[in-house]
Amino acid sequence: MSDRFWPQAFAIARRDLDRERRAGEVAWVTIPFGAIALLLVPLAVGINQDVLARIGTGMLFVVVMLFGVLTAVRRTSAETPEQRDAIALLGIDPAAEFVGRTMAGSLLLLVFQIVMAAVAVVLYGLDISGWAWMVVVMPLTALGLAELGTISSSIASSTNAGPALVPLLVTPLAIPLLLGATQTVEAIDRDGGNLAWPVLMTIVVLALAIVGVATARPLQETR
Amino acid sequence: MSDATRTRIGPLDVVAAVSVLFALGFALASPRIESQGEAARMLFVHVPTIWLAYLAFAVTFVASISYLVTRKLRWDHVAGASAEIGVVFTTAAIIGGMIWGKATWNVYWTWDARLTLTAIMLFVYIGYLALRRVIVDPEARARRSAILGIVGLVQLIPVHFSVTWWRTLHQTNTFRPRDIQMDGPILAALLVSVAAFTIVYAAMMRHRVRLEELELLAHTAAIAPAGPVAGDAVSAPNVGNSGTQP
Repeated sequence: MSDRFWPQAFAIARRDLDRERRAGEVAWVTIPFGAIALLLVPLAVGINQDVLARIGTGMLFVVVMLFGVLTAVRRTSAETPEQRDAIALLGIDPAAEFVGRTMAGSLLLLVFQIVMAAVAVVLYGLDISGWAWMVVVMPLTALGLAELGTISSSIASSTNAGPALVPLLVTPLAIPLLLGATQTVEAIDRDGGNLAWPVLMTIVVLALAIVGVATARPLQETR
Repeated sequence: MSDATRTRIGPLDVVAAVSVLFALGFALASPRIESQGEAARMLFVHVPTIWLAYLAFAVTFVASISYLVTRKLRWDHVAGASAEIGVVFTTAAIIGGMIWGKATWNVYWTWDARLTLTAIMLFVYIGYLALRRVIVDPEARARRSAILGIVGLVQLIPVHFSVTWWRTLHQTNTFRPRDIQMDGPILAALLVSVAAFTIVYAAMMRHRVRLEELELLAHTAAIAPAGPVAGDAVSAPNVGNSGTQP
């Protein structure tokens, strides 16, 4: 790893966050869209408070998975081939680019999750007494989703079907994260907590990080 | 169709056909499982199909890594062909499982962890095949799908361990080397069936990889100019001391 790796990664992350600050797509589109989805669920399944309290945490993570993908799709369509060429010609390490984009994506997804969790607690009356584990689960979910989004958006970039293809690629692959997140919360309710699920999430996140870094160069070559 | 591109039935195809007949004979001759009746013979189709799905996706994983290391398009052909066959056998495993489920659980579909995760695994590789279809350039397609072929293996972990992690309707893994709970003749029939299906997979791979190579030839021929183009007559100047300025 060269001395320039981390400065390059932070520069890429800052660029993505600046882009979000200017466009505000997560703040003004994805978050309200996710909140509407959480609002629609009780209308579809009925407004029985007990049922909503039981399914609320699961619905929260389903919304996070499905709408979190939108941040990856946005990045696929926002970046032009010329911008990608410029990044490659500047000599930026492809692995640093992957890390930087993942860092920015995780931060945006973490903010998205926190807002969605607050909305779900208010709407579904969720019991948050055992939510200390969320301090671990939420960053792992954000990191895993951001890694998948970065890999998938790079794979699908420059193809006509990019924005349609990314959700199909990310959603099924995010299932281990969804299972890890929901089962951790369920295990807290059942027996006070179980390390196995956060460990599964950590393994998935590490595996995706290794794949992302190892394949960053061939991916940059094809763009 | 030229002779070189014509599909030929090879010895492997004959062996595959004979082994399937052999496996069918074993399956029909195996003793009846009292608890499940004749429906239990689905075992001899269901287990080999899901085994082949695992095998096919594992081959896709290995071939994807091999492509990224060697950059030989042949590995991409293997990965693509194996994923396609894997999708076929995963679909067959799900449909076979549904038929068996109707006979034993009285429902075609239940929200069992193994069933649900297998269906999700199918969508991972449908996405993989969709990606392959939207990229025309063979090199770009190979690189991008290789990465997805590697990431896709993440999904196999929860599918395989689902019967251990959750209390599911689905039985636990059939092959546990230290704890085989199966009568000898049934186990023998199952192993013959698994071997026969594996030979079928090998035969299908041979044809599908060849088809991928023919598709590459067709693609190369399609983008090659049909006749002379402007500039053909112009060649690079031979200055003798290329790379140096006077």
